[in-house]
Amino acid sequence: MTAYFIRRLLLIIPTFLGITVMVFVITRMVPGGPIERIIVQARQMQSSLGMAAGAAEQRQPLSDDQIARLKAYYGFDKPVLVSYGQWLAKVLRGDLGTSTRYYDPVWRMIAERVPISLYFGILTLLMVYGVCIPLGIAKALRHKSGFDNTTSVVVFVGYAVPGWVIGVLLLTLLASVWEVFPLGGLTSDNFPDMPLDEQIMDILWHTVLPLTAYVAGSFAVMTMLMKNTLMDNLAADYVRTAVAKGLPFRRAVFRHALRNSLIPIATSFGNNVSVVVSGSFLIEKVFNINGMGLLGYESVVERDYPVVLGILVVSSLLFLVGNILSDLCVAVVDPRVRFE
Amino acid sequence: MPRFQLNPLTRRKIRRFRSIRRGWWSLVIFTFMMVAALAAELWVNDRALVVRYQENFYFPTYGAPLPGTTFGLDYAYETDYRDLSRRFAAAGEGNWVLMPPVPYGPYSTDLRDDLFPPFAPDWHQRHFFGTDTVGRDVLARLVYGFRIAIFFSLGLLVVNYAIGVSLGCAMGYFGGRFDLFFQRLIEIWSNVPFLYVIIIISSIAVPNFWILVLIMAIFGWIGITWTMRTVTYKERERDYVLAARVLGASHGRIILRHILPNTVAVIVTYAPFSVSSGIVALTSLDYLGFGLPPPTPSWGELLAQGWTYMSAWWIVASVVGAMVVTLVAVTFIGEAVREALDPKLYTTYE
Repeated sequence: MTAYFIRRLLLIIPTFLGITVMVFVITRMVPGGPIERIIVQARQMQSSLGMAAGAAEQRQPLSDDQIARLKAYYGFDKPVLVSYGQWLAKVLRGDLGTSTRYYDPVWRMIAERVPISLYFGILTLLMVYGVCIPLGIAKALRHKSGFDNTTSVVVFVGYAVPGWVIGVLLLTLLASVWEVFPLGGLTSDNFPDMPLDEQIMDILWHTVLPLTAYVAGSFAVMTMLMKNTLMDNLAADYVRTAVAKGLPFRRAVFRHALRNSLIPIATSFGNNVSVVVSGSFLIEKVFNINGMGLLGYESVVERDYPVVLGILVVSSLLFLVGNILSDLCVAVVDPRVRFE
Repeated sequence: MPRFQLNPLTRRKIRRFRSIRRGWWSLVIFTFMMVAALAAELWVNDRALVVRYQENFYFPTYGAPLPGTTFGLDYAYETDYRDLSRRFAAAGEGNWVLMPPVPYGPYSTDLRDDLFPPFAPDWHQRHFFGTDTVGRDVLARLVYGFRIAIFFSLGLLVVNYAIGVSLGCAMGYFGGRFDLFFQRLIEIWSNVPFLYVIIIISSIAVPNFWILVLIMAIFGWIGITWTMRTVTYKERERDYVLAARVLGASHGRIILRHILPNTVAVIVTYAPFSVSSGIVALTSLDYLGFGLPPPTPSWGELLAQGWTYMSAWWIVASVVGAMVVTLVAVTFIGEAVREALDPKLYTTYE
């Protein structure tokens, strides 16, 4: 099995190269990159200075020499694959480049955002697992009861409607109309002046709505998965045997059926790694939270390609490692599984 | 006697589907919504249903717009029927206008003196769900937006399934190098953040309906391909395939006549969930402003308006309400189809 996981780890390399090549090529082919932006800026500067220049100059504010220097600076002067190679070499040395928009190192921009996404990610994870597993068990044991049916409605609404839409609704009703919660962001304006206990309360107060939106998104799938697998196992022969032998029903559920039902939950556990760190840009956008997701979204919209690629490197590596972690989790909890 | 007889197995599946009340009623409601959206011009429109003018009847709902001069007005552009209705009523010459229940189209703005939109829901003005921030009726935008969204996701479904089913079948059936190559491709493809790529593409060129469907399909085929591959892979090992091959059936015949009919259950089960994810994807893109160009009526655009103008709670509330009804109905249909095709009779303990 060790050989299997080593092979899986090695397979990360071609997949990672494939992903980054694809996005790199797309960012190169698309117009509107940093050089076009600088030209536009220069043109605006020219017209605002009211320079009485000729029509030809008006069209092209920068000299060919300047444009060539800019291209060299951003690495646009070489064929795509050559500059991809240079970019990759820098990445391997741990340098993700500088943002073409803010001229900050990409590493630092990402590092600033990670704690925020991590905060929401871990809280969501705790909430989802803390609520879904008990709820799924309760629903399976009381299948087709009133409790099961009423919670099913909530679960299905949460499953059908995406989390960010629930977020917009919560924000409109609870923050704007009834003014119970703040209108987004993570801290109030006077946050630096508050004493520590108020600061904590302030963050928690700002956390409630986004967290609800996050949880609503992944809540339903998990609960139904837990319920359905537990019901499958309850119908299995070994549980019937255990009950027939005189084991109390509760013990049969918790000692036998439940342990096997946690296996499918474990299969998706590794993917949490990437979800926790990268967050959902839609929810972050709705609530105006400066996490990784929003950074990625804004960099795409603003064509800040070093940041786009930097986030891609981080998130795709996490995703690939997460997939392997999931397999590892399965192998750990289920001794029947053998990877070869 | 009907010449077309359903397979008894299929009939039993349909009966089982009907016996799942939640799914069946969702299907009824959803079909009703589809029909209502297709006939939207008849009940949500700023053109009148019937105009009685000088002993003549006019039915302006469908067809070329009637200029104002038709009804003795002094302009040659399309008649403003709400205004016409008021004029006829004031003149009292026996002319009348019958407006649809919601007398606003998806693009018509309701402008008033001294007041600025958005207007709250108003039964009297027949803005049942209020207006948006430029004075267009929310209900009209919802209905026409639903029509676009549902055809968008159906179109996307057809394209995705055409690619997914054929490629997935081929991967599962032929296996080997072919399978391995596409496996790697899919792994790479599914890791590319597809919303980013769609945003990049649609920020260069404003997409129209079919271009957007194609862009989404570039990334949408993966799920169904993967499922079809797994299913075909399993079916290929079954004895009936071996028997067909021994009888000398060609690959094409085995796939089309034997394997595909046995995988229909999977395809049908996936369809409702693909429809709902199509609607969600279009709404998300429209919300971000990278979907269909304005002023196309869309739920995402309404949500964006509601988000920027939060005191107009009726905008967000009606969109979310519509989304909940639609998506929950589709999900229930999907669950019922799944249960009908693959009944899992659970044992419950007392």
